Amino acid sequence: MADSSGTTLMDLISSDPTSAPPPSSTSTQSSTASHQRPASPFSKPVTATTTTDRKSKRSTLMQIQSDAVSAARAAVRIPHKHKKKPVSYTQLARSIHELAASSDQKKSQRQLVHHVFPKLAVYNSVDPSLAPSLLMLGQQCEDRTILRYVYYYLARILPDTGAQGLTPGGGIPTPNWDALADIDAVGGVTRADVVPRILDRLSTEATNSDPEFHARRLQALKALTYASDSPEILQKLYEIVFGILDKVADTPDKRKKGIFGAKGGDKESIIRSNLQYGAISALRRLPLDPGNPIFLHRAVQGVSFSDPVAVRHSLEIVSVLATKDPYAVAMALGKLAQPGGALQDVLHLHDVLARVALARLCHAISRAKSLDERPDIKAQFTSLLYQLLLDPSDRVCFEAILCVLGKSDAADRTEERALGWYRLTREVLKAPEAPSVKDKDKSSKARRPQLLIKLVMRRLESSFRSFSRPVLHAAARVVQEMGKSRAAAFSLGVHEIDEGGDVNTFSENNEQEDGKSQHEGNKDTVASLLASLMEVVRTTVACECVYVRAMVIKALIWMQSPQETFAELESMIASELSDPAWSAALLNDILLTLHARFKATPDMAVTLLEIARVFATKVPGKIDADVLQLLWKTCLVGAGPDGKHTALEAVTIVLDLPPPQPGSMSGLTSIDRVFATDPKSALALQRLVQAAVWFLGENANYAASEYAWESATPPGTALMMLDADKMVAAASSRNPTLANALTRLQRCAFIGSWEVRIIAAQALTTMAIRSGEPYRIQIYEFLHALAQGGVQSQFSDMHISNGEDQGASGTGLGSLLSPMLKVLDDMYSAQDDLIKDMRNHDNAQKEWTDDELKKLYETHERLLDLVSLFCYVPRSKYLPLGPTSAKLIDIYRNRHNITASSGMRDPAVATGISELIYEATKPAPVEPDNLDDDLVNAWATGLADDGLWNNAPAMNRVNEFLAGAGTDAPDVDDENITSRPSMSYEDMWAKTLLETAEADDDDGRSSGSSSPDSVGSVETSISSHFGGMNYPSLFSSKPSTYGSSQPVEKSGTSRHRKPSGGSNSYEGYGSPITEEPPPYSSPVHQRYESFENPLAGQGSSSFDSHEEERSSSGNVQSGTALYDFTAGGDDELNLTAGEEVEIEYEVDGWFYVKKKRAGRDGKLAGLVPVLYVSQS
Amino acid sequence: MLLAVLITNSEGNILVERFNGVPGEERLHWRSFLVKLGADNLKGVKNEELCVASHKSVYIVYTVLGHVNIYLVGKDEYDELALSEAIFVVTSAIKDVCGKPPTERLFLDKYGRICLCLDEIVWKGLLENTDKDRIKRLVRLKPPTEF
Repeated sequence: MADSSGTTLMDLISSDPTSAPPPSSTSTQSSTASHQRPASPFSKPVTATTTTDRKSKRSTLMQIQSDAVSAARAAVRIPHKHKKKPVSYTQLARSIHELAASSDQKKSQRQLVHHVFPKLAVYNSVDPSLAPSLLMLGQQCEDRTILRYVYYYLARILPDTGAQGLTPGGGIPTPNWDALADIDAVGGVTRADVVPRILDRLSTEATNSDPEFHARRLQALKALTYASDSPEILQKLYEIVFGILDKVADTPDKRKKGIFGAKGGDKESIIRSNLQYGAISALRRLPLDPGNPIFLHRAVQGVSFSDPVAVRHSLEIVSVLATKDPYAVAMALGKLAQPGGALQDVLHLHDVLARVALARLCHAISRAKSLDERPDIKAQFTSLLYQLLLDPSDRVCFEAILCVLGKSDAADRTEERALGWYRLTREVLKAPEAPSVKDKDKSSKARRPQLLIKLVMRRLESSFRSFSRPVLHAAARVVQEMGKSRAAAFSLGVHEIDEGGDVNTFSENNEQEDGKSQHEGNKDTVASLLASLMEVVRTTVACECVYVRAMVIKALIWMQSPQETFAELESMIASELSDPAWSAALLNDILLTLHARFKATPDMAVTLLEIARVFATKVPGKIDADVLQLLWKTCLVGAGPDGKHTALEAVTIVLDLPPPQPGSMSGLTSIDRVFATDPKSALALQRLVQAAVWFLGENANYAASEYAWESATPPGTALMMLDADKMVAAASSRNPTLANALTRLQRCAFIGSWEVRIIAAQALTTMAIRSGEPYRIQIYEFLHALAQGGVQSQFSDMHISNGEDQGASGTGLGSLLSPMLKVLDDMYSAQDDLIKDMRNHDNAQKEWTDDELKKLYETHERLLDLVSLFCYVPRSKYLPLGPTSAKLIDIYRNRHNITASSGMRDPAVATGISELIYEATKPAPVEPDNLDDDLVNAWATGLADDGLWNNAPAMNRVNEFLAGAGTDAPDVDDENITSRPSMSYEDMWAKTLLETAEADDDDGRSSGSSSPDSVGSVETSISSHFGGMNYPSLFSSKPSTYGSSQPVEKSGTSRHRKPSGGSNSYEGYGSPITEEPPPYSSPVHQRYESFENPLAGQGSSSFDSHEEERSSSGNVQSGTALYDFTAGGDDELNLTAGEEVEIEYEVDGWFYVKKKRAGRDGKLAGLVPVLYVSQS
Repeated sequence: MLLAVLITNSEGNILVERFNGVPGEERLHWRSFLVKLGADNLKGVKNEELCVASHKSVYIVYTVLGHVNIYLVGKDEYDELALSEAIFVVTSAIKDVCGKPPTERLFLDKYGRICLCLDEIVWKGLLENTDKDRIKRLVRLKPPTEF
């Protein structure tokens, strides 16, 4: 009996409980397989009894029951005859059928109790075909144990949660119900057949008011609650429960303090108490009905019941109701909360969970705003809550601490948290004067008021000395919650948070109010109390349980304040991470804690990044790169303008890490060494480096606040600086952050592994596209050299290599780089063309025709599409043709009512409908000048608001974590990197490479998947494989940005339009929406179709104002030629001394002037030297 | 909510499981997670010495009793300390039924009665009865308080 070796569930089935078989008798099946191989072990025994089976096949279930008496006799013998043979499920089922018919016999009863029912319990579910027999047993049998089993099995049939209506309960899987088909020739009994009958029976029993029957009544009621998912049953259950309570709850029932549940009292009151218990317990399992006064009334009555479990359930119900309607609950509780009331009695109730529920109830009511006008009620509940801080049970005390700290199960509110910290550090517990000690001075002296903080600290410190792991875990969790409240208090700047003040002064103040005084002599400050607690917390890191350690580290992270040095915490984490016992899930949990900590105190961005770096270097194989990236991103955003550089540095540190040294165990606690001693870790480290490189490329522009669409430097300046050294010098002096990122990426592009190099090249392209000059040209030069393999030779003398053979082809990036270079080439050549065109127009003094503008706009759109293939750019602001194209593009857009975000593929534009719509599509002015550039960029790139929290998997994880949710099952295979949900780099590379090829093919086409006017389009661009799907990026929320970025785009558009002073006239022109739209060729419109060079300055750029208006506007100055001047080029103009001219603008010592009459050369306007003209 | 009560033998075979409010597709994960937890941490642990773990906002308390491992999973008010209370009730009930810390054989012999006890201790995901005598009475279909 005592020997358990080789015993399995199978043995149980095969055994006769009265005499244990030899251990090895049936140990043919290994125990490991026993619950996984359901039917096979039983096949033999089933065939052994085929004669009986065949007989029963012909009978229906009812017939079996009626004929069962004779069959039962045979069946009863089965186990005795075949002691060593396993008993099949079929046999057991049949035994029940048969024994049910003879349940009046002692032998049958014994058989059921000792043999059939216990063995049946081993099967993990109960099939409905047993129900008729069970019901019959319930009706006919008197044996209490059999009846108890009957209720147990009936309750297990009722819930409809399993795949086939089964509720698995461990043990051996129940064979398919078909195995029982041989009993019932009709085709088996289904749930639908038996459940109504079971419910009927149980309902009848639950309403049976016979006092002798009340134990069964309670069990019937309990079993019924398992069917409460069905609305009809729920209704019926409410009726039964309230029916019982109507009868038993109103009777005054004096509680006998201290003897709850103990024997005693008269029979009637005990039965009443039992029924009260049964009804309240059932009610607890039913959905709450907030707002129903009867429901509340009954629940509140339960608080005074004599059964302790009933009291607990009542309190639990009431505490939940109190969170919804605290006022009603407080009113209903009324006198119960007063000294001597039932709630005070709960303090002495033995049931721990009842006191926990009391703490929650007190918390809900004492913090209710709706009770602000009843401070007396609030004070009563607050006092009760504070008394629970003295509770001997850690569970209750900790719950009370959490309540004081303002933690709530729902979303935490910062204000409530902050207030919680204030309460904890300031308020005192005044022990209520117990009636018995009222007159004794000594006792009242001993119960002097105590500061909550001191009380709590003492309690926590003693808990941390406990040997129980759950207690340590819980205590660390409480400290963590304390840290959260403290952080909230600091972030809100709650009044008087000074932690250096003597806390005793608060208690003294309070005591003085009471007319007493107390002086402890020593000075206790919140800071000193906390320091002493944290000392104890730190020692707990020595606990052998990794989960306790994790909780302690979380607590330390939360208690870390921005001002304190974090070196100790950092080294502690570093040494902890060296322990292989840490699972990936736990490590990621701590990363998420860093997130949460950052959200509470953005000032800690840099500190937290430093800590996150430890994870990246110590356990690269275990952490989720997505979560780490999200942390980088949130910290980057939160670091503010000043911290951006530092935040980006923290990311780049990952790139500077030396390659892992296999087998090296030196410097185990050094945080600057990479621990990737096995191939898996090395691979993970590489993935992390890839992620960092990608992150850098994607976010460097944000960190450096450098955007092409805001670059002040005209392209010409940069082109003149082709000397590489000068360029680099200029670049780094102008924007060290960007230059730094650029340098690191360049380094990665030739010394990393091939995978890293590819990402680095892509990151550089992204930066080239997004940055203005001279960065773009710098990157272009670098990529160009890289493509030709020239760079490697330049750097070869640096001897920096990870030891990998980089191949004969140099970088091996040629095929990847060519489309990237092509984009940049296209952009530069298009810019050159534009400059040429503009010069020609200026020289020829020609106005831009609509066709020319159209061509220009098409080029703009085409390049925009092309660029979008590589990375996200804000479409409304990005100018692939350079800043000089802005005005021309704007003119064309305005004229044809093309919205900047949708471009040419807007159906309204394509079909010409947009031409008909004027004011309706006009963007409303949104005060573009008031918008901070950085804000616009952040907004446009999806940083602000919900842009940061888009639907990337990591963000879900963070959100879930922050919300305190997450009960989903843990992943056991956390060591298996490939099983992690995040997409592997290999997959992404496959896609990336494919799409690069596509991008190459699609160069000339403006349509395709890159079109940003479809939500999914940007996702398919190369960078969004990283940004949109896997890696959080400042630019990653393209779809949502596109969907929601209209205001910014509008502002961008209007900002571009603003310098053109004539926009108002354009608006005026188009304003009456009901007006017949003028024909496209109408002379009025034609005036606007051609115009003078808008780039020629403020005066001439009013493209949409009429020439006459311009001349009368006073912007144009008149002048007189002082000397004769002979034109030296096409753009120059001949002058005769004394000739009158209109000066349009000045450029580089030249006036662009217009004559009133054309000269002999036929030219009317052109450039003349400033000195040749006197301005009048 | 007391999400799960799981009892396994020392090899990790599940003898009893009671899930409450856990979706069917997650149960398999929980089973393997708990079994792995036990395999990693329960070696050399004394009878009824409590171990703790957590996953997101879910707490796990587990222990060894004789030759069986007992795991309790809970969330919200069923935190690690409430689970410790609950696991104490479960272990006492099993010890009561078996008369001592059970071997797997003994546990299986008393399987039916253990199931009935468990039914009285945990009812639809909430801890119900904690008093030993009361559980004993209820298992015999006697009223919770006798007269």
